[in-house]
Amino acid sequence: MVAAWPADSTLPKSGRRLYHVRVHQPAPGAPPFDPHWLDHLVAGCRQLRGTHPRFEDLFLERRLEIAVAAGCEVASCCSEGAAARWRFPSRWAVHAAAGVSSDAVAALMSRYSDRLKVLPGPPPPPLDLGPPPGWSDWARDMVGRIADPGATIRFLVRTAVVIRRGGWRHAVSPALVRMETGSAGTALLAVWGHPRLGAWIGDLLTPPPSRPWNPEAGLRVPVVFTDGTSGPVLHELVGHLAEGDLVAEGRSPLTGLGGATLTEAALDLVDDPRRADLPGAFSCDDEGVAAEAVVVLEGGRLRSWLCDRDTAAAGVGLPGRGRRADWRSPPAPRLSNLIAGAGTVEPAVIESGLSRGLVVTRLSGATVDPVSSRTVLRVERGFELRNGRRRRALGPLELTGSVTEILAGIDTAIGNDPTPDWRLGWCVKNGLPLPTGSEAPTLLIRHLEVL
Amino acid sequence: MVRLEDFAQSREALNRAAVVCADHLARNRNGRWEVFAKSSLTRQVEVTGGRLRRTAEVAESGVGIRLFVDGRAGFAATSGLDGPALRFAAEAARSGASPGSDPMPPARLLGAGPVPPGPDLPPQGWAQHVAGELAVALGALSGGRLQLARAVVQEGCYAWLLTTGDGWSADHSRTVASMLVEVQVGERPGVWREWVHIADPAIFDIESVAGRIGNRAMLTRHRIVTDCGLHDLLLHPEVAAQLIAAISPLFLATTHDRDPLPRLLDRNGLLAAYALTVVDERAEAGSPVVSPCDGEGLPARRTLLLEEGAPRHRVASFADARRFDELPRGGAVRLSYRDRPATGLANLRVVTEDGLPAGELLASSDRSLYLLRPLAPVICDLASDRYSLVASGVWIERQRVLGWHPVVELRGGLGALLRRIDAVGTDSCWFETPRGFVGTPSLLIRRQPVVG
Repeated sequence: MVAAWPADSTLPKSGRRLYHVRVHQPAPGAPPFDPHWLDHLVAGCRQLRGTHPRFEDLFLERRLEIAVAAGCEVASCCSEGAAARWRFPSRWAVHAAAGVSSDAVAALMSRYSDRLKVLPGPPPPPLDLGPPPGWSDWARDMVGRIADPGATIRFLVRTAVVIRRGGWRHAVSPALVRMETGSAGTALLAVWGHPRLGAWIGDLLTPPPSRPWNPEAGLRVPVVFTDGTSGPVLHELVGHLAEGDLVAEGRSPLTGLGGATLTEAALDLVDDPRRADLPGAFSCDDEGVAAEAVVVLEGGRLRSWLCDRDTAAAGVGLPGRGRRADWRSPPAPRLSNLIAGAGTVEPAVIESGLSRGLVVTRLSGATVDPVSSRTVLRVERGFELRNGRRRRALGPLELTGSVTEILAGIDTAIGNDPTPDWRLGWCVKNGLPLPTGSEAPTLLIRHLEVL
Repeated sequence: MVRLEDFAQSREALNRAAVVCADHLARNRNGRWEVFAKSSLTRQVEVTGGRLRRTAEVAESGVGIRLFVDGRAGFAATSGLDGPALRFAAEAARSGASPGSDPMPPARLLGAGPVPPGPDLPPQGWAQHVAGELAVALGALSGGRLQLARAVVQEGCYAWLLTTGDGWSADHSRTVASMLVEVQVGERPGVWREWVHIADPAIFDIESVAGRIGNRAMLTRHRIVTDCGLHDLLLHPEVAAQLIAAISPLFLATTHDRDPLPRLLDRNGLLAAYALTVVDERAEAGSPVVSPCDGEGLPARRTLLLEEGAPRHRVASFADARRFDELPRGGAVRLSYRDRPATGLANLRVVTEDGLPAGELLASSDRSLYLLRPLAPVICDLASDRYSLVASGVWIERQRVLGWHPVVELRGGLGALLRRIDAVGTDSCWFETPRGFVGTPSLLIRRQPVVG
């Protein structure tokens, strides 16, 4: 289904075009449970009105993972479970259990009240989440091409329903494919069926340069992030640090900088779960808030935080980013798809303007140290840049800098080539992994230190 | 509160599920098969800023079925232990089966070893009590400069049952506890984060843990000092654990043509210095993952991986052992019903019998870099004998702290690094890494290139 472009209120005032593909919601599909039963559960939630503690929501999820590994049998895992949340005056309580039967749901919802009667519902329909026909054969073929004993390819899909007193919502996410190359230590995460998946797999399987070059440690150089690599950089430097829990607890270096200009580059940054071509897409978050784009940076100025209902209630921002790793985990503020608006400069022009520097074409990791607020960017592929031309291929290396200095050092020349990242979407926070996406144009950071 | 009486019921449910599965699989002529059913109860208590902020209780059960029929092998898992879920898993395993050899070990190899008794579950309110006491202990230790920002205590119990179509079965149950601690250091906005394995809640020493966390976190309050060149290194157990985890693929069976180990050995056949002995410990009390057998029913045992620097054995699942010409030594892991048994390390541990107290390690070097914590996963390119380690550390001269080096990188030859391990400490701790649990002490490494 193709939806409208974002409402004007969510668009940066600068009015530049943010997307290079149409914005569309994930196809809703049929809910994974009988709608009448879900209506009945909504009525059950209403019965709990006025109880103490206050009932918050019920989350039902079904997920399927199919893994094909080198030399192993195909493994499929179907998991379903439910979680109910209550709000005490000063704390949350979450109870979760495997299974989505009426008995299991009634037991969860009656945890703090015997006033609830859940009618037995029809058994959930057979899980209709399977991969397209021939997927396993395709995956076996790909594992053979990777030719590594540790290679694994996974098909991941989930569907969920969030039930509150006001109604229920079906949370839909796109099916994903994740490829791990084993000893090579590289991976790919993409929406299954993405038109560029074949090209990305080609990139993934391209061997590293045979005679790589490493710059001298301690060197401070301008670095051009191209081929979508600026997306993971912004994910770490802005996206995570704009998550409501870190901000509310004062653990983000961006705390207190709301409204401040972080970079002189007129950079627009939007977290948009409606981009169904990227892995972090959803139709509503795991607390039942409909998917909306959130403008994080507008013209380089910090505009909004990414919040779940809890941090939103604390006055940090608007809800809509309460995401769960699965039914076992409580929701927490998490990114979806971070999209940086395109500029007007040809990437080649950005590179040609530098007498000396580095070009990064693939990152293998990015972290921010919570103690020192310094970031470490792991470069997997790239080039030396001399007199505006790409020279020697880079070997793996690390770049570092402080978060605020790096943001302040983003050059005003922004590339006109928004490119999705396929390498680093599998985001782990507090040990809980979630698929996320990013798309960003070529960016130049004026100074980074080579470690 | 995680209730033991509920848990006893879930163990009965495991037995019932195994019987239902066995019936279904036997009636439908499913060849060779195994059923792994697991049930767990977990409670997570989060204390933020001194007050209880969130509790989460998760009850989970499920079953994984592996079978081999008509020359095809399949695996499927499903949550729940009711009849439809079990039939779904059995049918999915059969319908998804692909041509291959039988991945399951023969009945003659199966067996269960003795398991030391596990600790009891802590009483109700224990988690909150621990967080409160830890906050007081940290404050007292640091003169108020360290504040407990957040503590997340996880406690729970699990039981599993493994049964095969050959009539063999084993079961096991245990309690587990751990804690994630985040400490505010002075006025700095960031937090110091530490994961603590709690072997036995009944003898959990809060002051000792507070000392361990506080002493390290306080080192980051020193002025910033940077240096580079060849220096002695002292790796805190957390950094050492990441390094040992990064080289752990060397301890897994693999194909001869892709095996990087021969290229890493010196002319005496040593991978590391004499000080380093590494085992995969599967039956020792106090280890995070203890069970009577491995993930597919071979008796649990200690596997000597590296003895005084020399490679000895490698672990493999039964199928991988056959594939890579190794002896099956019980090297399969299966942490959840969702996972197919696969080659892996359960508790990778550096042996510390001949270790020195950390203070003596520190005193044995005039000037050294003490690496406090890793800032990114340690990268070891085993094929090209290179490593890269990015960490935060402090410079120490004659046992006096000179200053904090917030981000420092070490890079060089992996074999040379491992062969310059001069001594191991006695301060072994367990850490959770992407490659499983690793128990390591401090490591003293001589003359390594510090990049800056």
